[in-house]
Amino acid sequence: MTEKQTQNVELTPVEEVYAKRKKIFPRQVTGMFATLRFSGVLILLGVYYFGPLIQWDNRQAILFDLPARKFYIFDWIFWPQDFIYLAALLIIAAIALFLVTALAGRVWCGYACPQTVWTEAFLWIERKVEGSRAKQIKLEKAGWSWDKFRLKFTKHFLWLALSFITGFVFVGWFTPINELMDRTISFELGPWEAFWIFFYGFATYGNAGWMREQVCLYMCPYARFQAAMFDKNTLVISYDEKRGEPRGSRKKGSDYVKDGKGACVDCSLCVQVCPTGIDIRDGLQYQCIGCAACVDVCNEVMDKMGYEPNLVSYTTENALSGKKESLFRPRVIVYVILLSAISVALFASIAQRIPLGVDVIRDRNSLYRETDEGMIENVYTLKIMNMDLNDHRYSLAVGGVEGLTVKKPKKGILVDAGTVLNYPIRVQVDPDKLKTSSTELTFYLNAIDNDKLSIEVDGRFLGPVYK
Amino acid sequence: MSENKNVVPKVQRVIAILWPSFIISGIATILFFTAFDPNEIIGCVGGWDISRMGYYSIGFFLFWLLTSVNSALTCYFLKPCAANQKN
Repeated sequence: MTEKQTQNVELTPVEEVYAKRKKIFPRQVTGMFATLRFSGVLILLGVYYFGPLIQWDNRQAILFDLPARKFYIFDWIFWPQDFIYLAALLIIAAIALFLVTALAGRVWCGYACPQTVWTEAFLWIERKVEGSRAKQIKLEKAGWSWDKFRLKFTKHFLWLALSFITGFVFVGWFTPINELMDRTISFELGPWEAFWIFFYGFATYGNAGWMREQVCLYMCPYARFQAAMFDKNTLVISYDEKRGEPRGSRKKGSDYVKDGKGACVDCSLCVQVCPTGIDIRDGLQYQCIGCAACVDVCNEVMDKMGYEPNLVSYTTENALSGKKESLFRPRVIVYVILLSAISVALFASIAQRIPLGVDVIRDRNSLYRETDEGMIENVYTLKIMNMDLNDHRYSLAVGGVEGLTVKKPKKGILVDAGTVLNYPIRVQVDPDKLKTSSTELTFYLNAIDNDKLSIEVDGRFLGPVYK
Repeated sequence: MSENKNVVPKVQRVIAILWPSFIISGIATILFFTAFDPNEIIGCVGGWDISRMGYYSIGFFLFWLLTSVNSALTCYFLKPCAANQKN
């Protein structure tokens, strides 16, 4: 069966996870955008699979160590207290997505979304095993035979293998991957690690192997609201209807203008390459993920026919209708300002971050105690977090009430790198100096070997008031 | 009845319940365990002797259960009352 014959083959719709659906067999495509997407997929998969293997100071360079509740990113260590940075990072990512969408449409969907990236990888395996689109369709329609079983088995085996490697690496971003590897080889995986490897593996297999475009059509929240971010100056995939219609087949070299035809030769290749199975000639649809496969394939056809390229192209609504295009629209300016402001604030605050934290926790059992000498005593626990990469000794000082005394070690309080120390202290005050029953104290903590590592925290001192 | 195009297939309804709750329970798990360390909670109120990963996972599934119940109830109450009476 040739490509030409298979293009209109109607497969019976099958009830699948979401809806009755005709299985889509995207045809392989070559061209500028296909090369761009392929390189993008390679780079992103490379970062994903090899990122956890990078070493830094004898540890994993990037490790979101959930079991230890610490995030390592090269020389930075983030603690749960630094959640604000993560929140800021997510806000930056969201605004960047809005900006890119306003400017260039769904480039995220077409090139960088994990759903696209893994679907591409799975399609690649499928093509290597089952052959071209025509062969895949033929195989799908054929009855069960040894050959069909062998091909399907190989494909699913390879898909599952890739899926479980993906699941393994996923867990490797969150727990040290070298130890995870050792435990996997010796069959000593913890139950939860094993669970998440399989969970993520099956999700990959299901999403990239079976669900594919259904994830974009039905499950993706972004696909539903992205139209709100589009305007007439947004780059979208469009078919030049004025130039293309009326479409129709013709003899090569014939003068189509004289025959009353448009430039579209109705070869239906744009439909065959579409990963979501739409016809771009029907206009912009929410199913279009902006992958530009139809642009590539149509330009190839236009080239063969000796016509001008870009019958289907990446362009804006304004350009298509001959209006003036503008890059700096109010929404773009607002996104850029927000994006730069939050990014600058985030990096400035990370650069100035002091890797030291103190929580002052009052003793829960008693409000205050009177000592034999007639002093009022409050007991606190200092929770000292050394978030630095080195051990430090800290000197402690307390202020707020005249003549208060505090017992403290002469050499300072030693806290090992990356640990939390609970340190109890007693503060004593002469009751005559207390003006109210609750007085504010300030606790100063200072690294003895580094002046920059200093911090002050407020606490309350409770006592009786004799008037 | 099944010929009616407006009838949503059952699978789709089930996923419409499970999928949004999955997303929200993921966010809830991150927020909850950023604020609270499971090991410290165990220190205060007691609990099983399992790893933090275990508590994160159990927490995630508990959140998923709660958010699914929420979505399911929304689905249930969306059903018109008249249609209910016919059954």
